Amino acid sequence: MTAAVEAQRLVKHFGGRGGTVEAVRGVDLSVSKGEVFGFLGPNGAGKSTTVKMLTTLMSITSGTALVAGVDVAADPDAARRRIGVALQEAGLDPRQTGRELLVLQARLFGSPRGEAADRAQSLLELVDLVEAADRRIKGYSGGMKRRLDLASALVHEPEVLFLDEPTTGLDPASRLTVWDEVRRINRRGTTVFLTTQYLEEADALCDRLAIIDGGVIVREGTPSELKSQLRERQGLAYGPTLDEVFLDATGRTRERIEGEVQEVHA
Amino acid sequence: MSDTWVLGQRGLRETLRTPDSLIPTLFIPVFFLVVNVGQAGKIFPSGTTPFLEGQNYAAFQLPSSLLLAASFGTAALYLVEDIEGGYFDKLRAAPVSRTSIVLGRLVAEGAKNLAITAVMVLLALPFGISIATGPLGFVLLLLLTAGWAVVFAGFMQLIALKTRSAAATNAGGLVFFPLLFLTPNFVPRDLLTRPMEIAATFNPVTYIMEAMRSFILEDWTWSRLGPGFAVVAVLGVVMVVLNVRMIRTYD
Repeated sequence: MTAAVEAQRLVKHFGGRGGTVEAVRGVDLSVSKGEVFGFLGPNGAGKSTTVKMLTTLMSITSGTALVAGVDVAADPDAARRRIGVALQEAGLDPRQTGRELLVLQARLFGSPRGEAADRAQSLLELVDLVEAADRRIKGYSGGMKRRLDLASALVHEPEVLFLDEPTTGLDPASRLTVWDEVRRINRRGTTVFLTTQYLEEADALCDRLAIIDGGVIVREGTPSELKSQLRERQGLAYGPTLDEVFLDATGRTRERIEGEVQEVHA
Repeated sequence: MSDTWVLGQRGLRETLRTPDSLIPTLFIPVFFLVVNVGQAGKIFPSGTTPFLEGQNYAAFQLPSSLLLAASFGTAALYLVEDIEGGYFDKLRAAPVSRTSIVLGRLVAEGAKNLAITAVMVLLALPFGISIATGPLGFVLLLLLTAGWAVVFAGFMQLIALKTRSAAATNAGGLVFFPLLFLTPNFVPRDLLTRPMEIAATFNPVTYIMEAMRSFILEDWTWSRLGPGFAVVAVLGVVMVVLNVRMIRTYD
């Protein structure tokens, strides 16, 4: 069976005045169809850069990436027809209404006018934004914007949905609503590739996850596998949390992070 | 083309929903027209100034103001907002031709400028200005001015795509002022001092201004009209090609 996402030795270098920055240094990933796959890592680890390469938004320095069976570098338009993207910044046009945005998005994915209007209506119902549909987006709350962004990523019923930190900045209630949406989308058969800073989110939603640090994958497995591995390796008497797995994988400790914070304040 | 039209409609909605942005686009060029005519109008009385072709000095100055109104490049500032807000990535992640992404905004900018130019010319008519080439000349004047609006918006979009900064894009727009003043702005080219005449000859805006002026002051004079349209066509193609290339390599 073809994997939903298959990346091999993915590399991204940025050139700058200070020399070359190796943001991603040989990432291998394989995400099965129908999974919710979590992609975790500290700030600057290479998460968003990897997602941008997989979604055709950034060129690949070397390596290959297939999404829904399509080589994203060789045939980006074919890949774009199969993927949905909701990035860190909810990519919305504040001057349009929610309905206009969805109709426009559907038309850009090839739907005729009438079909686009129908699709917009059903997506507005899906994310519970029917009442706000004809209001301009600039008046939406953060949670509403996130739900609309999700809906706009679904207009063409993508095979793989990329969500880059979809709950960052949301209040707890809005976050739970987005979690419900993600589960519902996944139940309909869409593979979800999710990056997040929130480990409880990864624990709650993801079938499998990978942790990236310094541009390379440092852990990969199901949440329970990763916890068991840590417990066995460190001989712990208790079941560790995903936070502890993350800290262990990235070589960070609470003391070090506190030190980093103090350094910033100084 | 349908993607271009869909994105162009979105650009027009954007303009209609920010009417405040139209105020400086209309007010500043009209202000310059009034000030320039007020300062130099007496020097060039219509009866004794051959290059006015019997009209008043405002008719000679009107093209400068129309060009200024076409050189605000607001489309590029909206593009920076799209980039900063993430909507530009949403468009790039859609299977839309990169040319449509560029043309959508430029079509909207052109349409907006058609309306602004029409309003400015119609406002000028009661003040004794007429279009010597008649209604067809009026339509072609609108199209030529809108063509320049598309070129200049394309230039500012290049700055926006390169810098991704509203401040830099705004500052880049100021390049129009030297372009506007290194032209036969106050008198025809043959009355300029030699250095200014050389500078104006190398300035592409000169040919557009002379073509616009020709529509207003002269009968159909293709030796003036042709170069104006040629400059807009060549620069328009160059801007679209550079914009598309910039979006294709945008990381």
